[in-house]
Amino acid sequence: MLEVAQLSKVYGPDPAARPAVADLTFDVAAREFVCILGSSGCGKTTMLRCLAGLEPVTSGHVRLRDEVVSGPPREMAFVFQDYSRSLYPWMTVERNVAFPLRYKGVPKQEARAATQEALEAVGLGGRGRSYPWQLSGGMQQRVAIARALAYRPQILLMDEPFASVDAQTRAGLEDLLLDVWQRYEITVLFVTHDIDEAVYLADRVLVLRAPAHVALTVEVDLPRPRNQLTTKGHPDFGRLRSELLAALSPAGTPQ
Amino acid sequence: MVSLARVSAGRGSDLGLKVAGIAVALLLVELCTRSGLLPERWFPPAGEIYAEFFRLAGGRPLWVEIGRTLLGWATGLGLGAVLAVPIGMALGSSRTAYRLSRVVIEFCRPVPPVALIPLTVLVYGTDLQTKTFLVAFAVFWPMLFQTIYGVQDVDPVAIDTARAYGLGTFARFRTVVLPSATPYIATGLRISSSIALILAITEELVVGTPGLGRAIIVAQSAGDPTRMYALIIATGLLGWALNAAFGALERRVLSWHPAQRQEVAR
Repeated sequence: MLEVAQLSKVYGPDPAARPAVADLTFDVAAREFVCILGSSGCGKTTMLRCLAGLEPVTSGHVRLRDEVVSGPPREMAFVFQDYSRSLYPWMTVERNVAFPLRYKGVPKQEARAATQEALEAVGLGGRGRSYPWQLSGGMQQRVAIARALAYRPQILLMDEPFASVDAQTRAGLEDLLLDVWQRYEITVLFVTHDIDEAVYLADRVLVLRAPAHVALTVEVDLPRPRNQLTTKGHPDFGRLRSELLAALSPAGTPQ
Repeated sequence: MVSLARVSAGRGSDLGLKVAGIAVALLLVELCTRSGLLPERWFPPAGEIYAEFFRLAGGRPLWVEIGRTLLGWATGLGLGAVLAVPIGMALGSSRTAYRLSRVVIEFCRPVPPVALIPLTVLVYGTDLQTKTFLVAFAVFWPMLFQTIYGVQDVDPVAIDTARAYGLGTFARFRTVVLPSATPYIATGLRISSSIALILAITEELVVGTPGLGRAIIVAQSAGDPTRMYALIIATGLLGWALNAAFGALERRVLSWHPAQRQEVAR
């Protein structure tokens, strides 16, 4: 589905400057849920922006379904961490979800149906006429997810989407995401700095080190459907958690 | 509900204080003139001024003068805004264009519009065109800068969102840049509306184009200070009414903006 090969990104014109992404290589299979785990400042966000076609790459390439990504692809949707800035305050919830469809050329009737369906999928079927700022943080991020779903992407990129909501809301959003991932049969690439979140959600966790490159790949074979109590109580959960913690801490240098 | 009740109670007592303030001010003016502290010849008692004002407000001529002033105000404000907003959008979107034009703008901006009166009279004579030009020149600058700031202040995350969903340059401008800039443009319009009124009346005073300003001069030279004051009150009320109208418009159009929101997250 997604193929990243020897990707490098250097900001500015100076080729000798310190790269944000260096020789990054990985693949994501169709319908896979991959989490990218890395501490802050390791180049996660830059990497994701390159993958989304928002930032030109310095060398290497990104391929989505065998096509080189040079601008934002139609098959891709992006969910930003900062939902309050990513949702437009002058648009209702409905219009926030629907506006990309207009530019994608989806007929009006169809767009309306897709919007309503996506809002219902995230449990906000009745809030279409509200404005985003009338909703709580968790609900706002659900609107952003609904916008991504209505766009009918094949792959969903998420940049620390749940980092600015409280723990309770976060658990709810994680389960919601797993549910729509299954229902909409999409591929998810999810960036986070939270180890528990990565293990809970992913089929596979990639640990990133600065400048962004894959330092470790961990397969997560915890049973699905995942459950906040039983999955996090599973003996393998603790093992994977420790493994990733060791990989993330500066002292641990697993090869 | 509790906070709402508190707000309306606060508004009620606020209104009471305002009315009391006006009453005290009028009483002081009245006392000063009645006691002879201010010469009655130049400072007629407030009561008489208000009687004259209401007499004028009941007749047609005052409204004709107000209409003439408002016409110059509207044509000038309209022309200034129609020119400034697109230029501001262009300069706000392009760093090169902004740098290129900055020196010229910084040179033209500090010129007091009234300094252009002699030139304008030479070119356009003493009719509406002169008033329109001066008002348009005066409001062009605040409108231009508000628009430039509005366009430059668009949230980069909002732009990235639009890009990620495949919106091209033009679509991004319509969907994101324009709505983000509207609060700035609205503020520019409100500020410009006051400036436009000042310029319209100044032009009438200096050039003698018909309107409230000339009516004030006429009353003064006819030795009728009561009427002059009544007309001054009319200009003040006009300014206040225009500002209130623009404030109300802003609240309506920008109900989504944090500064105007009646409702907080629930």
